[in-house]
Amino acid sequence: MQDQPGADSAFQFEGTWQEFAPIAFTNLLLTIVTLGIYRFWATARERRYLWSRSRFVDENLEWAGTGKELLIGFALAAIVFLLPFFIISQVAQALVLRGQEALGGLLTLVSFLAIFYLAGVARFRALRYRLSRTRWRGIRGGSDTQGWQFGLSYMWKTFVGYLPLGLLVPWSMVSLWNERWSKMSFGPHQFTSEADQGPVFVRYLLFYLAPFLMFFGLTIGGAMFGGAFGMMSDGDVDPDAIGAGFIIGILLFVFGFYFVLGLIAVAFYAAFYREVVGAMRWNSVGFSFTASTKEWIMLLLGDVVLVVFTLGIGYIFLSYRHWKFFITHLEADGEIMLDELTQSTTATSKHGEGLLDAFDVGAI
Amino acid sequence: MEETASPPGVLPANWYDGVSAVRHEGTARLSGESALVLEEAGQPALNVPLGDLVSGGALASQLLYQRVSQPDFRLRLPLDLPPDFATALPQRRKYGGWVDRMGLGKAVIAFTAVSAAAVALFMTAPEWLGPMVPPAWERQIGDAMVGDLGGKLCHTPAGDAAMAKMLAAVDPAETKVRAGVANSGMVNAVALPGGQVMLFDGLVQQAETPEELAGVLGHEVGHVRERHVMTAILRQFGLSILLAGADSGIGNTAFGIASLGYSREAEREADEYARARMAAADISPLGAAAFFERLGGGRDDEDGQENGEENSEDAREENALIGWIASHPSSGERAKAYRNAATEGKDYPPVLTDEEFAALQSMCDEDEDVEEFDLF
Ligand SMILES: [Zn+2]
Repeated sequence: MQDQPGADSAFQFEGTWQEFAPIAFTNLLLTIVTLGIYRFWATARERRYLWSRSRFVDENLEWAGTGKELLIGFALAAIVFLLPFFIISQVAQALVLRGQEALGGLLTLVSFLAIFYLAGVARFRALRYRLSRTRWRGIRGGSDTQGWQFGLSYMWKTFVGYLPLGLLVPWSMVSLWNERWSKMSFGPHQFTSEADQGPVFVRYLLFYLAPFLMFFGLTIGGAMFGGAFGMMSDGDVDPDAIGAGFIIGILLFVFGFYFVLGLIAVAFYAAFYREVVGAMRWNSVGFSFTASTKEWIMLLLGDVVLVVFTLGIGYIFLSYRHWKFFITHLEADGEIMLDELTQSTTATSKHGEGLLDAFDVGAI
Repeated sequence: MEETASPPGVLPANWYDGVSAVRHEGTARLSGESALVLEEAGQPALNVPLGDLVSGGALASQLLYQRVSQPDFRLRLPLDLPPDFATALPQRRKYGGWVDRMGLGKAVIAFTAVSAAAVALFMTAPEWLGPMVPPAWERQIGDAMVGDLGGKLCHTPAGDAAMAKMLAAVDPAETKVRAGVANSGMVNAVALPGGQVMLFDGLVQQAETPEELAGVLGHEVGHVRERHVMTAILRQFGLSILLAGADSGIGNTAFGIASLGYSREAEREADEYARARMAAADISPLGAAAFFERLGGGRDDEDGQENGEENSEDAREENALIGWIASHPSSGERAKAYRNAATEGKDYPPVLTDEEFAALQSMCDEDEDVEEFDLF
């Protein structure tokens, strides 16, 4: 038995916001009246809907995670990580107060290193959790490793990435993506990811150099604007007006600076996701992610408009928008041998992402 | 997926066994009251006990069921089940266990009630929890928070003796609170965590009779004895939990607590304590009444807070007392309560002799080693 992923797109999103709205609003209501505790069930419910409306080839996905396990994950994370961190920081503070600055500083440094390490482990675990709760044709994903090793890689690669003035950041991001996904599997098949940092690096250079270029460009522009403003107001040069114009120029400069930087950051991430998803394979299936920079910008602008014009309520639709964006731009091609596709043998964790999903930034 | 009309009692069904990705397409029918039979052409029938099925919610156009004994097994049936199937199969999961059992409306009401109760319990916790904390614990907590103030309190043998005498009158308990005069020009008095009461030298200088000081001291001792201080510590602690992470070093909060002020009710309790102690010790409450009247601006005013405007002349003169006004709602009513506590025509013995009172007032001048007390 064989299935050929469709000519259009192997991934289809079939949900509608009208269908999602009752879920989002009842989730909000229940979250409020339970002082936030329902949040975990809300997340599970939301994902059950989004996954069930996402079709891969000829069958929809299923989210098999539960609110209870997310709550347990959160409680575990709080007890195992947050509590010790809180205690250590109190002890460190007390040591500093008692004049043991070196010891207190060392303790603080160690606890921050531990947080850094655990953030890496958490990124790994969050992905593993999501794969293990995602089912397609009754089959789930997972990983045979726990992510402890990845946590170390995350530490040193991120550190090295920033070391040469941040020039190796694209390398560390791509390399970590490859490492993380290569440890994941779905059913009996391992994912592979062999993304190259080259194409990403070009975009990154743009991001890297832009501040310098902009600084010169906008400083000159701002100064000229300030001067022009000053002269415009009166035939003569009015020093006060130059001052006012200069302030406006600086404001425009700051605004323009962050706006352009934001755009370039989006361009970088668009290139990053195209490259890293495009380099992924699962058995004989290859993936690609087609979202262009423009589409990313439209997504983010849409988010802003939605949230601002609904006075914040629109926030509850963001997860829907992002998931839809992710699924509609995800493509796959290749062959799937259904009778070879057997259940995953990876161990599944009994608890959810917990606090760890706070660290989880990307989609699957 | 086949959607051919099935005979009554038989539903189109498909399922995954959770072992391979191959889809099984067939029919489902109820077998008695205990099992669901899944049949697929050319395959042996699959008997699933009804008790083994749990709802996995709904997909776009199908209901989803899982098996407890085989968590990877997935059965999908049509969205609109016939009544016999609907009653036999587990209820559809939607919001989560509790909410589904109660219904959304009832659950929202119940959760709201429980949440409101929890919030109320949390908000009032300082009030009922504070008095339950053993005083010895409070003393330890307080000492940790306040640290050593010894060097900033004024001491002379005669002054200390006068203070001890006055304290003995308003605090008859075996273990006395610790009381002292702080070397600060502020016109104020505070009850600090750990049962430490301090009169500031500025206030001592303002007092015209020792009875005024006894009234203020009795009031502050009242805050300690009525456990208002512990209540305030707990309230501060609760606030810092709410503002999680706003990790205000413990040392900084000690005076925050003292300056936060106590509730109006706590102030009344402290006043009542002071009056009761003064009555028991034969101290005239008229001194304290005069003190409050000076704060309030006049003995005939009902509401001391408005007096600033009306008696601006007095108010300006007494401007130095503003410190105590800020942390203690002073009013004509309080003064009246003290005045009414006095027994008509009674001749009270003075709480301190003139020499003792003078020793108390000169204590900070005469103590050479004392450091300046700066609060913040
Ligand atoms: Zn008071």
